[in-house]
Amino acid sequence: MNRLRRLDRSRRLRLGILGAVAISLFIPLVARLWYLQIIKETEFIERVQDNTTEEIIERAPRGRILDINGRILVDNRKSIVVTIDKEEMATVRTSKLDDLFFDLAREISLSGKLTKVAQIEDAYVSERYGPFAKVPVVSDISKELQVYLAEYSYKWPGVGTTVITVRDYPYGTLAAHLLGYVGSLSEDEIGQVQSAEKTYLANDEIGKAGIELFYENALRGTPGRKTVIVDKFNNILEVVEEIPARAGSDVQLTIDIDLQAMAEEYLKDGLDIARQQPTKFEEEGVIIYKAPAGAMVVMNPQDGSVLAMASFPTYDPELFVSGISQDEFDDLIDPGNSLPLLNRVIQGTYPPGSTFKPFTAYAALDTGLIGSRGILGVNSMYLDEGIYTIPTCEGGTCEFQNAGAAAYGEVDLRLALTYSSDTYFYNLATHFDILPGFDLESPQVAASYFGFGVPSGITLANENGGRIPTPDSRREAYRENPEAFLTDKWLTGDTLNTSIGQGDVLATPLQIANAYAALINGGTLYAPNIGLRTINPITGETEVQFESRVTRDLYLPDAFRQPIIDGLAGVTTWRRTDNGLEGTAYDAFLNFPHEDWPVSGKTGTSEKQSLDALIADYALFVGWGPNPEAEYVTVVILEEAGFGGAVAAPVVRRYFEQIAYGIVPRFLSVAEADEAARQLANELEEPPIEGEAFAETSSIGSGD
Amino acid sequence: MSDLSWQRKRSSLNPTGSPISPWLHIDLALILSCLTLGVTGVFMVYSATRGSDPTMYDKSFLSRHTLFVVTGTLLMLVTSSIPYRRLRDLAPIVFWGSNLLLLLVLTPLGVERNGTRAWFEFGQFQLQPSEFCKVAFIFALASYLERFDGYLSEKAILNSLFLASVPLGLILLETDVGSALVFVAITMGMLLVGGAQTRHIAFMTLVGVAGIAIIWSTGLLQDYQRDRLTSFIDPASSQTEAAYQQTQAQIAIGSGGLRGQGYGEGQQTRGEFVPEQHTDFLFSVVGEELGFIGAVVILGLFGVVIWRCWRTAKKSADLLGTLICVGVLTMIVFQMFQSVGMTLGIMPITGIPLPFVSYGGSSSLTSFVAVGLVLNVHMRRYEAVR
Repeated sequence: MNRLRRLDRSRRLRLGILGAVAISLFIPLVARLWYLQIIKETEFIERVQDNTTEEIIERAPRGRILDINGRILVDNRKSIVVTIDKEEMATVRTSKLDDLFFDLAREISLSGKLTKVAQIEDAYVSERYGPFAKVPVVSDISKELQVYLAEYSYKWPGVGTTVITVRDYPYGTLAAHLLGYVGSLSEDEIGQVQSAEKTYLANDEIGKAGIELFYENALRGTPGRKTVIVDKFNNILEVVEEIPARAGSDVQLTIDIDLQAMAEEYLKDGLDIARQQPTKFEEEGVIIYKAPAGAMVVMNPQDGSVLAMASFPTYDPELFVSGISQDEFDDLIDPGNSLPLLNRVIQGTYPPGSTFKPFTAYAALDTGLIGSRGILGVNSMYLDEGIYTIPTCEGGTCEFQNAGAAAYGEVDLRLALTYSSDTYFYNLATHFDILPGFDLESPQVAASYFGFGVPSGITLANENGGRIPTPDSRREAYRENPEAFLTDKWLTGDTLNTSIGQGDVLATPLQIANAYAALINGGTLYAPNIGLRTINPITGETEVQFESRVTRDLYLPDAFRQPIIDGLAGVTTWRRTDNGLEGTAYDAFLNFPHEDWPVSGKTGTSEKQSLDALIADYALFVGWGPNPEAEYVTVVILEEAGFGGAVAAPVVRRYFEQIAYGIVPRFLSVAEADEAARQLANELEEPPIEGEAFAETSSIGSGD
Repeated sequence: MSDLSWQRKRSSLNPTGSPISPWLHIDLALILSCLTLGVTGVFMVYSATRGSDPTMYDKSFLSRHTLFVVTGTLLMLVTSSIPYRRLRDLAPIVFWGSNLLLLLVLTPLGVERNGTRAWFEFGQFQLQPSEFCKVAFIFALASYLERFDGYLSEKAILNSLFLASVPLGLILLETDVGSALVFVAITMGMLLVGGAQTRHIAFMTLVGVAGIAIIWSTGLLQDYQRDRLTSFIDPASSQTEAAYQQTQAQIAIGSGGLRGQGYGEGQQTRGEFVPEQHTDFLFSVVGEELGFIGAVVILGLFGVVIWRCWRTAKKSADLLGTLICVGVLTMIVFQMFQSVGMTLGIMPITGIPLPFVSYGGSSSLTSFVAVGLVLNVHMRRYEAVR
């Protein structure tokens, strides 16, 4: 009985222990539930959203680029791209991989798109793509190949195709420099576009140069954004919010593609002709006319709009479409190839040479050195003996010559410009330099009025501002590089060199054209426009009109302007039968239809300093017409090509001839273009482009 | 003898002695809480498996699981209707029979899922013999221990351990660690109440700890098993499926908050982020959709089930009944704690379904049959022993 009782007590105790253990197990469970659901609730709700909410970005097509007549210069097209799935390939053995790449290259080549194995391998190993990426290896394959690859996909593990939207260039290489190109976002750019109003994805394209870069914000489509609820396998369960993609705006340019095509053609011809000049043997060495590069810009001086902009050598923007290889890109930025990527019109800086003289003349008029009450009269004659000696020479070079030491005899301001007499301007410069009451920097001041020394403000990126040397800048330059100069002092000789656009004066072709435009139009200096407006791609309506931008109104009374304009008119037309003296471009414009289409100009032949070898002069010509209300002003620069009057002026002559004879239709002025667009918009019933978004999606945010 | 608790007031409240009389003493609280759990389970399984397309929800799991719960309820009533003492003679046959099934499942007759070979397949139904073996084992061990009347010798303990080791070994060969642990828990619970001495228990605990240490330090476990067992400590550091599963389950539960996302509204559940959310991880659906309140109610229902089992164990007419209840109680407590604990991230992942609630025929039937045994004991608590 005792034992039984003991056993009974013990059993009750044991059941009690069991019960206690069982109940105690609930404590951690409830505590943990409390912790997860009450204390950490917010954090977990966020994590659920991370898990299940995804944003799908739908790419929108980029806007097109049109010329002033509405012709499409840059369009979009679809390209079928062969991709290789890195994740899937990672499981394939290397030896097999080689075979696969070889077969793939052969198959693609057979389909008509020549492809090297190395090309596929390079793309595959490129570090631009993450380990799970589908790497595009060959683009623009045929529809048939796409079908074939899909049908026999078991033969091609990891190989797929996708359709992407790429830029299309109906006019080929025309206007490549000014249009620019697009490319994948670089590391730096990814940072910059973080705050952009239109979302960018990591492998999105962005304008890299030219119009594509400057008008990136307008051209870029607004990506569509879909907020969806997904499951673990990224299947969409529910669409929470959807903002449709919107195509980018079209950008219309002031460029006329006919004028552009002609500019590029004649620039190239001009260089070809210059290259055919015989090699010159001089005491200092051999001069070869390499004529490797050049630039030409055409503007409407009345409103500062750019009509054509050519730079040689050029490149094929198509190279950037399918992803340019490093080698190809290196070629484009190689000085040995004359930097094909450089847009010389806005980025190349040249000594303007004699084309600078009108602005020195302006300085003399503006400061009163020349004038009715000045030290020199507008018509007072100066005896040009071909050689000029600085009267108060303190060192450095003291004797300066005209080109070829030619003596032009008695010249006034007009004739000095017509003949391009250096000594006349040396004389002016000396006056500035030594006469009390005159500022030796007067030519620099005048030049800055006309926009030299600072970027013109054209609507293109990376414009170079050129350089106007002053005593201050000389000291600065000397401090930085004492080897390059004899002294840190600004000598009279420097003022002389500056007055004829030599020495350290540097300007871009665009700056020169723009300065002349101000001179021609009566004193309004514009910031050149190349963009005309942005157009809504669906309605065809103008979104933003880019009006002319006036940089400054110059003080340019007729008393200043007329003698300069007269002198420059003589450049193409003046010839004295008695002594045979003629305008520097008289020969070039012989038999030009001057009566119907009066043209003026200024030649320039500038010396580019080179340390290594003797190089040929740079040939320049500025021409404009039809006078008096000129609609075209053009600047041509041919590098290492010789005399401006001999090689550069003929380019402009041939160019203007086409226009004067009406072979090329006259460009539309901005006002006319607006009217044409309005009519077009009224006529159109169908919108010019569908606002359809391409079925190309990618997601930021991730499901796991 | 009249003051022994499981025999108290034995005759006075057994008015007629007619065969129907045990039904007057049926434990309605136990039946109701189990049924509530079962019905809740049906709803949660539906939410976890119906998929995401409202126009064509998948109802196959729903209908199958409803069938399981209904069948389970019927089996529960059947089990409770045959006096358990009469069933005692069948215990060895059922036990060894189920062990034979465990052996057969290791042959090509069995099918493997998630690395565990634990199922027979009949059409669209699977049978997991290890589940049924639990009940058979409880009954067999109870009928063996009963004869010692509350005082276990070393020999009795060794024999019990041998009895346990047969299904345990076979289940470990299936690499079903979770089920094996259930057997360990049941054995320990029943030996404790069955009369094991303190030193026996201490010794077995010691051997158990040492055994675990040895298994851990030698290469007996596969890496993935090791990972599954440890990843709950710091899921963020592990890249394994197990860690992912546990992290996702906690996200689901945590986001439920106090009131839950609402039935059928759980984003994690709808997105099927938690693998096995309809079976072993069903509690994550409960936590997400029903919230803290719902989860605590579910745990409360388990509390009721356990309390009723414990009460029945105490009130049982004989030691056999007590031990049966203890076995069932231990089984349910351990499975509940393990299954809920692993979804909450406080227990390692071992594939154990939540009794009554999780999807699965074998598990549901076993749970209901086990409760049927407890009901059996409860109904006959006033009947004379032998």
